[in-house]
Amino acid sequence: MIETMSSESTPSTLQGLPPTQPPATDGPAKGLFKRNPPIAGEAEAIEAAKAGDPEAFSKLYALHKRRVYTLCLRMLGNVSEAEDMTQDAFLHLFRKIGSFRGESAFSTWLHRLTVNLVLMQLRKKGLQLVSLEETINPDDDSPKRDFGSRDPNLTGSVDRVTLERAVASLPPGYRMVFVLHDVEGYEHNEIATMLECSTGNSKSQLHKARLKLRELLRETGQPLQPAVLKEAVR
Amino acid sequence: MTQNIDTTISCAEFQDHLPELFANANGVPDDPTLKHHLNTCENCAALVRDLQYIADQARMLLEPAEEDPSDSVWSNIQSKMELERAEVEAATPPLPSQ
Repeated sequence: MIETMSSESTPSTLQGLPPTQPPATDGPAKGLFKRNPPIAGEAEAIEAAKAGDPEAFSKLYALHKRRVYTLCLRMLGNVSEAEDMTQDAFLHLFRKIGSFRGESAFSTWLHRLTVNLVLMQLRKKGLQLVSLEETINPDDDSPKRDFGSRDPNLTGSVDRVTLERAVASLPPGYRMVFVLHDVEGYEHNEIATMLECSTGNSKSQLHKARLKLRELLRETGQPLQPAVLKEAVR
Repeated sequence: MTQNIDTTISCAEFQDHLPELFANANGVPDDPTLKHHLNTCENCAALVRDLQYIADQARMLLEPAEEDPSDSVWSNIQSKMELERAEVEAATPPLPSQ
């Protein structure tokens, strides 16, 4: 399910990162597909930027800065670090754009490059992303089991801002897996490769992330569960 | 002859299956024991609904936030690009004279 960027050199040549996996045959993940609509003028800008045209690179920055920054912000949970990482991502792009051969959507390629840079940065800081989850998710942060102590009859909906805030307050390991899987559309096997953990660990971490989000949203008094989902469990 | 299936499990046992259940079937079990528990336990049904809802709502976040990085980010990128271009040019040997 990893996009067809495995033969593009930039993301897989980031030092210290695992190589990207070969592409699956069944097309991009839902999330990856949705973020790859053709962008008018992008192809021309890429070619011009490869030839060293500063204006073209400026256009690529304008086209993609928000998505890259948003991704960094969600993964890092900190504005200052997200801006630094956005800067690093585009500088890396500047150095490596010549290796982009158009085998995948440019936005997918840039997205993966950014994810890899963020993960590399977190590793440099000594953060164990998943494999030692107990160290990054101390007991206080672990989601509580739910055995009937709460009112199950919640109604209402969660708005985007509330959810953004709740995601930002997740412990780093939970946040990383939640953003990569539920927001960005990566599959567990891809996440396992990126985070150097097992797929079971990725699934477990995602489940705990959702449990923790549920707790956080309840604490903020944000009701859950729209009517449409009532059908899903029947 | 009717097969008797033990459909009694605790909430803890049911919830232990949730990571795999969501990974493979979006929280909807095929296993009769799990299905029975889900259909009869209001608390676990609410938990599953909430977790499905959270997963669904996460897609709202796929679109970038209405927030750009500060202008200094682009200024820094430009400065560093210019510096790197200058370094490359300085390292490139001059063309031989005609």
